Amino acid sequence: MQAANDLGSKLILVCCGTGCLANGSMEVYQSLKKQLTDSEVTVKTFTKPTGCNGWCEKGPLVKIMPDDITYCQVKASDVPAIVEKTIKNGELLDRLLYRDPQTKKRVKSHHQIDFYKKQHKLALRNIGEIDPASIDDYVARDGYKALAKALQEMTPTGVVEEILAAGLRGRGGGGFPTGIKWRAAAEQAARPKYVICNGDEGDPGAFMDRSIMEGDPHTVVEGMIICAYAIGATRGFIYVRDEYSLAVTNLGIAIDSARRHGYLGNNILGSQLCFDIEIVRGGGAFVCGEETALMASIEGNVGEPRDKYVFPTEKGLWGQPTIINNVETWANVPVIINNGAEQFAALGTAGSKGTKVFSLVGKVVNTGLVEVPMGTTLRDIIFTIGGGIPGGRSFKAVQTGGPSGGCIPESRLDLQVDFDSLLEAGSMMGSGGIIVMDDRTCMVEIARYYVNFLAGESCGKCTPCREGIKALLDTLTAICHGQGREEDLLYLEEISQTMQDASLCALGRTAANPVLSTLRYFKAEYLTHIRDHRCPAGICRELTEFEIDPAACTGCGLCTKNCPVDAISGEKKLAHIIDQNKCIRCGECINHCRFNAVLVR
Amino acid sequence: MPAEIKTEPNEKLLLSIINNYPGEKRYILSIMQDMQKQFNYLPRQGLEMIALHVASPFSQVYSMATFYKAFSLVPKGRINFKVCDGTACHIKGSNVIIDQIYQHLGIKPGETTPDGEFSLETVNCIGACALAPAVLANDRVYPKVTSAGIVEIIKSYGGHADASSK
Amino acid sequence: MRIIIDEKPVEVEPGITILEAARQNDIDIPTLCYHEAFGGQGMCRMCMVEVKNGATSRLVASCTYPISEEIEVSTSTPAIARIRRNIIGLLYRRAPNSEFMQLLREQYKCPEVRLDVNQEENCILCRLCVKACEEMGSSAIAAVFRGTDKRIGTPYDDAATACIGCGACAQICPTGAIAMTESEDRRTIWNKDFALVRCQRCGQPVGTPEQLEYIASKSGLALEFGLCQECRRKQAAVKVSGYHR
Repeated sequence: MQAANDLGSKLILVCCGTGCLANGSMEVYQSLKKQLTDSEVTVKTFTKPTGCNGWCEKGPLVKIMPDDITYCQVKASDVPAIVEKTIKNGELLDRLLYRDPQTKKRVKSHHQIDFYKKQHKLALRNIGEIDPASIDDYVARDGYKALAKALQEMTPTGVVEEILAAGLRGRGGGGFPTGIKWRAAAEQAARPKYVICNGDEGDPGAFMDRSIMEGDPHTVVEGMIICAYAIGATRGFIYVRDEYSLAVTNLGIAIDSARRHGYLGNNILGSQLCFDIEIVRGGGAFVCGEETALMASIEGNVGEPRDKYVFPTEKGLWGQPTIINNVETWANVPVIINNGAEQFAALGTAGSKGTKVFSLVGKVVNTGLVEVPMGTTLRDIIFTIGGGIPGGRSFKAVQTGGPSGGCIPESRLDLQVDFDSLLEAGSMMGSGGIIVMDDRTCMVEIARYYVNFLAGESCGKCTPCREGIKALLDTLTAICHGQGREEDLLYLEEISQTMQDASLCALGRTAANPVLSTLRYFKAEYLTHIRDHRCPAGICRELTEFEIDPAACTGCGLCTKNCPVDAISGEKKLAHIIDQNKCIRCGECINHCRFNAVLVR
Repeated sequence: MPAEIKTEPNEKLLLSIINNYPGEKRYILSIMQDMQKQFNYLPRQGLEMIALHVASPFSQVYSMATFYKAFSLVPKGRINFKVCDGTACHIKGSNVIIDQIYQHLGIKPGETTPDGEFSLETVNCIGACALAPAVLANDRVYPKVTSAGIVEIIKSYGGHADASSK
Repeated sequence: MRIIIDEKPVEVEPGITILEAARQNDIDIPTLCYHEAFGGQGMCRMCMVEVKNGATSRLVASCTYPISEEIEVSTSTPAIARIRRNIIGLLYRRAPNSEFMQLLREQYKCPEVRLDVNQEENCILCRLCVKACEEMGSSAIAAVFRGTDKRIGTPYDDAATACIGCGACAQICPTGAIAMTESEDRRTIWNKDFALVRCQRCGQPVGTPEQLEYIASKSGLALEFGLCQECRRKQAAVKVSGYHR
């Protein structure tokens, strides 16, 4: 980071999060490095790959400091212009700047963009600002300062008290108060004790943990060391999905360099604390996000949960006292120790303090990662930060909490998001996925989708979860295929109740939430499937026919072009027609039509 | 493009993977991951050798291999398409991509073409939700894939686009 | 330690499960996956009970809940009856051809459900077979795959090297889901063929050679292929009475 302070030098940050990488940011980065060396640039430049900036929709993103310029959707072919004009002459390239959809004006810095303006970054504070592979970058932004403070100025009990006072609750789903967990583990006399980072992020539609592990791995490491000091642990494990290869790599680099700098190992920073961390790569099982299943997996077993009548803080990994926290929770720990509990607790609502990272995806203009104070309304997140629904379609529902969560309708958009308000609305926080759905989403099919997901992801150990999911899935499939009966809805509710009451772990106890929440808010749509054999969203193929409204069709031919089976015909500028025998009901025509001329029959 | 690993398993190679880890149960998962990377599947001989190495019953090692999704008991194709079926991808039409692959390569999720060139599976959210719908060809991520786009991707890997006659 | 089960105060050893405490006091809690020899597995969830601890009350699996406080347990409330009825209904839906499940379904008065007509499953995944096999020291079978595809099997569904053909799994299975066939001199189980040793005196099956060898090696007794238990006992009695003559 000294680079930015170097007078006259420029720091060029290229976002290399998964989203930008897939859009070619590595080529941009390499091309920048090469051309800055090859051409005669008089200013000193530093080019760095960074973690995810969150604004994946507009990636690859390139930020130029200290000028505070943000270029969007940069391609390798843009690099010569960036070097020649911006780096050498300080000229702005208008075409690469974000264009505000309201004012139609070009915006120079990302700080002026709505997507970022309403955000408040704690857990994501360093991401996009540092090179995740550089411990110096992390240290330059107050990294390991919290650890030094804890070791030198605080007692272990003092650290626990601070976390308690901050009101931090687990970011992985349950929202259990972190400080209470820590205190329970600290009180245990048994040794050894373990600290685990749950990086087995699995909620479909959530990728904040991936982003933190990739973009700021040291914050996780630092959080874990502080906990080890607070509870008296000697070994730590980071359990990461093996699919997250960049996260595994960057965490590995972080642990190695932390060891070399004396933050891990024996007598950390000259104290009595001895602690080290190893990475365990998960085998691809959603249920391993459940803590007892995760521990079974680390021990080398099938990832099946057990009843938690005795908490892991007392008997966890290998039967020893264990603390498991989620990635985002760990990322908040150094912030709390550095800035104090009071400052952290000043943000958020009465019951949920601090911020929460959400991954805003689905039918929304600005998809990406956003971090906002707890209590921000869904409307603000989706419409102000997210920019609303694309393609002129209308909002229908928002799904939070992953497969265990629920669908919330428009009438509840002013809900202030925190752990408790979401539960009350029949959903949950989960790990923070916010999936926006428009009128082209069928709520019965979406319930079926989640249940189908869990059918493959349940461990299959206990009856209510395994057989209950099967029963729900069969019933929902029948409804989607037009074979539903009205009494099926009662059966769905009955089975859901038993799954909630009797399942072994949280996966099973919450597996019916998508069904119950859609039944609660969208019962009419179920009944339309059952009584009228229609799918109003045009998703359930057996119940859907598309037709073109001749009055609205302009004959532009866009649907014909996008139809994968050549089922649409018509003269240019005249109304088109769909051949129902050829049509496979994929919906490409309705998705592409700009005149709302394709109708669902 | 990363080179596809297609090594034939043999005892020496299997041992060299297994011997990287102590003979403790907790390393089963890591050994399996390395084997899967090396061979694109878990050879039966390998599982038997793991059982011996960590002194666990073969049935339990097999149980783990079938429990975790990262592992395959049969060889995958040279090009393994993973269509993300996370929620974001699902509501943006991942099923259309799966249909198109079936149209052009004649394979459904979990299947491999007879020539061993392509295989298809659906995967849970790969955390690329902002790029929905996403497809992985081996380790490369293709963002915002359309029904026409997937055909181009198949062609770029040498798949003739008319194998629909299967 | 004193707890209350169904309004009856009972004295229990701390650390035992609610199910154990109930059975010690002749209070019946239904189970499917529990066996005294293996302890609680927490899988079938038939043994759910309501636990009151002070002001909080919750539903727990009695076979895995260790007693550490002075709790109040109810083993049959309307909520629990509903859970049990639904669990039986779900398992019947899984194994509708099993007589065992048909019987339970009548007993628990489960309503009609739509069935998959092709359902040929008899197994209810209680995993008592896996436990029995483990206990025998073979661990030839395990729960494989996961989610709704979970089932019991040998590796690759082949004849398992580790299987000794003892038949303990078939014996403990409540639904008769494990096929074991015997002919004059063969026993077939889990796709594996064994020679069948019969008693030289009465002709009853004694076991497979692998099984007898295993018992001999475990117990340190001499390997004996000749007689069944019954006949051996009779023979021993004759010997003993001979000494006293």
